Amino acid sequence: MGVLRVLAALVAATVLLAGSVCAAPSEYQVKAVFLFNFSRFVEWPPSAFASSDAPFVIGVFGYDPFGNQLDETTRGETVNGRPLLIRRVHNVSDAADCQILFVHASEATRLDGILAVLNHRSTLTVSDLDDAARHGVMIALATQEKRIRLRVNVDSARAAHLTISSKLLRSAQIVDAPVSGD
Amino acid sequence: MAPDIAPIRKKLMKMLLLTSGIVLLFTCASFFAYEFLTFRQSVVRQLDTLAQAIASNSTAALAFDNPDDARSILAAFKADPHIVAAALYDQSGALFASYPEALATNSLPATPEITGYRFEGSHVVGFEPVRQGNKQLGTLFVKSDLKAIQQRFQLYGLIMTLVVALSAVLAYFVSYRQQSLISRPILQLVETARAVSDRQDYSVRAGPADTFEIDLLTGAFNHMLTQVQQSEARLRAQMSRMSLLQQITVAIGDRQDLPSIFQVVLRSVEENLPIDFGCICLYNAATQTLSVSTIGAASRSLSASLDLIEQAALPVDGNGLSQCIQGRLVYEPDVREIQFAFPQRLARGGLYSLVIAPLMVESSVFGVLIAARRAAHAFTSGDCEFLQQLSQHVALASHQAQLNSALQNAYDDLRQSQNTVMQQERLRALGQMASGIAHDINNAISPIALYTESLLEREPNLSQRARSSLTTIQRAIDDVAGTVARMREFYRQREPQLTLALVDLNRIVEQVLELTHAKWYDLPQQHGVAIELRTEFATDLPGIMGAEGEIRDALTNLIFNAVDAMPEGGILTLRTRATRASGDVQSARIEITDTGVGMDEETRRRCLEPFFTTKGERGTGLGLAMVYGMVQRHSAEFEIDSRVGHGTTMHMIFPAYTQAFLATTRMPATQFTQRRLRMLLVDDDPLIIKAMQDALGADGHLITVAGGGQEGIDTFLRVHGTEEAFAVVFTDLGMPRIDGRRVAESVKRLSPDTPVILLTGWGQRMLAENDIPPHVDRVLSKPPRLQEMRIAIRELTE
Repeated sequence: MGVLRVLAALVAATVLLAGSVCAAPSEYQVKAVFLFNFSRFVEWPPSAFASSDAPFVIGVFGYDPFGNQLDETTRGETVNGRPLLIRRVHNVSDAADCQILFVHASEATRLDGILAVLNHRSTLTVSDLDDAARHGVMIALATQEKRIRLRVNVDSARAAHLTISSKLLRSAQIVDAPVSGD
Repeated sequence: MAPDIAPIRKKLMKMLLLTSGIVLLFTCASFFAYEFLTFRQSVVRQLDTLAQAIASNSTAALAFDNPDDARSILAAFKADPHIVAAALYDQSGALFASYPEALATNSLPATPEITGYRFEGSHVVGFEPVRQGNKQLGTLFVKSDLKAIQQRFQLYGLIMTLVVALSAVLAYFVSYRQQSLISRPILQLVETARAVSDRQDYSVRAGPADTFEIDLLTGAFNHMLTQVQQSEARLRAQMSRMSLLQQITVAIGDRQDLPSIFQVVLRSVEENLPIDFGCICLYNAATQTLSVSTIGAASRSLSASLDLIEQAALPVDGNGLSQCIQGRLVYEPDVREIQFAFPQRLARGGLYSLVIAPLMVESSVFGVLIAARRAAHAFTSGDCEFLQQLSQHVALASHQAQLNSALQNAYDDLRQSQNTVMQQERLRALGQMASGIAHDINNAISPIALYTESLLEREPNLSQRARSSLTTIQRAIDDVAGTVARMREFYRQREPQLTLALVDLNRIVEQVLELTHAKWYDLPQQHGVAIELRTEFATDLPGIMGAEGEIRDALTNLIFNAVDAMPEGGILTLRTRATRASGDVQSARIEITDTGVGMDEETRRRCLEPFFTTKGERGTGLGLAMVYGMVQRHSAEFEIDSRVGHGTTMHMIFPAYTQAFLATTRMPATQFTQRRLRMLLVDDDPLIIKAMQDALGADGHLITVAGGGQEGIDTFLRVHGTEEAFAVVFTDLGMPRIDGRRVAESVKRLSPDTPVILLTGWGQRMLAENDIPPHVDRVLSKPPRLQEMRIAIRELTE
């Protein structure tokens, strides 16, 4: 019993230490975690990958607000046995290779074009643009009462043959918006 | 009975109930324990499952930092009322959401702990990681109360109480039935044992039991009972034989003679052993035979058919008898298989088993006890042992009886000798007394004798009647003298000197009949009894030499006896016969026959003994003894024929004597030419002096008398040497102071040639004993006979 207790204390200490190191996470630190978490709550069809051993790619289009935080968050992680790659995407054509593509709000102008390119491609689009979901972005990261809320365009995701976990949907806000291009 | 029997039933019931109760309780306890443990586990499992589901649902809430969502997920715990608290912690361990929302934060753990569940008091608490893939997103805390367990256990308790109650009732009934499987045969055994011990009845048996072991026990018990019963029966048989032996021993102890001992033994054995045939045989070692001594009373009918009557002889051949004679008890279980005469004889009589026991005294067999039964193999070893012991007892008793009988005989002989000695002593005393009496009588009758003889001789003018009377007087005097003389016979062993004369028995018989007329005719007639007299006299009867007086006395005695034997009257026969052999006359016989009561064997045998009498106080017991004495003195024979109720015949057979003897003895002459002699008579009895003086004076002798011894001597001295000297001296023997011997001595001293004739009342005795005193020339007995005196005078003076 004594041993257990010491062990428990040690673990608790470690957690607390970690907490203190990462205290007060920044907005994009949270968003980086969110991005990574999407890989766990969404299912991609096999056609989304070039090959069976192709890496899982999270792309950041245009402006990269994360700095190295995204890389930090996903370091060493894998998704369904695939190595996880963070890719900075600058060309729309490159965006199709990503399984998750984050588009910063500053890239709002390019959004339609990106979505057009990605039409029917199995790439989960994520943007922190306020009404991104209504534009056809699949998941929008909206800040609300100092918390980041998810808004999900289910139709877009379905059109892209992506299955979003009901658990994710449960904590998200469903947005009805026409799929771009329709 | 119930209080005694109840314990085993109670115990069995208690045992069965206790066992089932313990099993039930143990089962219940196990069940409770199991339920308790498994229910806790299942509570944990349920909680875990619930927590996992909630945790799984909470992933997105945690992953996307949505506490509202988390709270709504936690609210799902409402479905389980036992969940009292729940909380979600984020990846960093901070509280993310809690349930119920109103819960105070401090009632929750500040930080998540290690994954797992534990019981804290009446609650169970647990931490569940919230994972997405392999990534832990946070931790779920749940806390549930244990009211479910309590409720469950309350229910279980109720059910179990019911089950236990039902089981107890059921167990009671079942055990009540089951215990009887064991208790019933045991109680039955107990009942049997009680019957055995209470009633001493070993014939009861316990019934069979259903249970193997108890059946074994019952069997063993019954077997034991059988053995006890058998040994008890053996014991009883032994006891009864011992008591029989004792009874027989006591019975034969009372008996002294062999036949009665044997009879008692055989009867007891026949009745009580029992046997079908029993007899006792005595062994004669000299002839090597057994003779049947006694046959049991109940065996007699059988013994007749076996030809085994008493006194029958059994040869001792090579059969069981010979072994028994050697002292061994012989048992033949089946005589039909024995090819010897005796067993075959028994077999023919239907007696198939046989025991022969030796009767031994000092290791020699004197007889055998034979016991037989109809059935073969019918004697047990106990019977044989009994017969062996019995035969030993019988042998001892027999031996004792024989010893006793020998002792008795010796005692009888001794008593007989003592009697004889006493009788002789009596006879001697009587003889001495008789001798004195005889002396006096002889003196007293001397004058009568002298005067009678003198009268008959010198008075020719006596009338016929006077002469006849005087003759009878003279005969009576002779008889008195003879009788007195014979008195000595009672104490004398030696034969008296008989003055024998030729005797005509016919005449004596006639005389005696005349003398005893009153006895056989007058006295019976006075009593109204008639006795008829018959006489048969032989004409050719030879004369005999005898003492007339004795023969007369004997005949008188015999006639008296004959008359006494006929108190109711009868016929008295006197017969004389000459008995001849090859032409020569040999003997003369007198027979006296009566038709009276007769004599039995005992009386006939003893009638000649002195003092033996059948007449009670009236008889002296000397009559026939005197007759017999007379007969012996006459060298005659005496025979008695007698039958009880038919009468008695007495025979006296005298030897006949020749004519030559008769001639020489026919001496006495009627007259002597006698010289005149001077005589001195010395006697103290004046009557005798007077009678002798008269008698001898009548013969012409000159008689001088002296009244005593001294006077006689003086008288003889005075005239001695003168012309008046005495030629003969008569002196009495017994006189006061100077007796006859002294007188004789004095006379002979002066004049040895002068004959001295001693007269004595003891005369016959002196003659008989050769006790003739010195100086005496002749002894004459009193009463003096004139004739004898004349002869003596002539012989001594010529």
